Amino acid sequence: MTSSMDISFIDRTLKTTGILALIVLAFGWLHYPFFDILAVFSGMIWGIINLYFLALLVRVAIRPEGPDKAAALGLMFIKFPMLYLAGYFLLKVTQFELAYLVIGFSSLFAVMILKVLGRVILGLDGNNKPNHNHHQQEAV
Amino acid sequence: MDFQAMISLGAPLGLGMAAVGSAYGIGRAVGSAMEAMGRQPEAAAKIQTAMIIGAGFIEALTIYVFIAFFVAMGKVG
Repeated sequence: MTSSMDISFIDRTLKTTGILALIVLAFGWLHYPFFDILAVFSGMIWGIINLYFLALLVRVAIRPEGPDKAAALGLMFIKFPMLYLAGYFLLKVTQFELAYLVIGFSSLFAVMILKVLGRVILGLDGNNKPNHNHHQQEAV
Repeated sequence: MDFQAMISLGAPLGLGMAAVGSAYGIGRAVGSAMEAMGRQPEAAAKIQTAMIIGAGFIEALTIYVFIAFFVAMGKVG
């Protein structure tokens, strides 16, 4: 089964959202206006890149062995001026409805919540329960 | 005070308040994460994951306020 909710959880969330974005782009425009679907897709991709850089930044800056200052500064330069500027230009594209950009951006968090909910419902993180089989084996 | 003047005053004020709230939230989250990592370095990966998720949600909240600010300022014209 899957591992506990470790650092790979973020990577798996990003991959799932990326696949969802491709599905939305591939099939969405058959039923909805193309620019609306493109706005949703752009919002999703921006959200994925944003969370990817946030995760990288946390990994290099907040760790037990101390921050890697050069890497953290480089990532900050990419994330804050450049990525946010790209987001600003996405807001300024006249063909894109603001609501569809927000839907695309929010879908990343919907995926994250659903993944966590799935883990809770399936009890994948319930590692506090005693392993009866192990005790039985020890007794034997 | 008319409607447009109220939006012109309230939207930047709301954006500023959201930015301050987010900064406070992220600051507390990072501080607590560092403290927890110092106490339990072997749990660093799990703490980092929780930290990234929390920071992502706080950042998203600020971005929503930023978008609401754009919508409000669009109404001002």
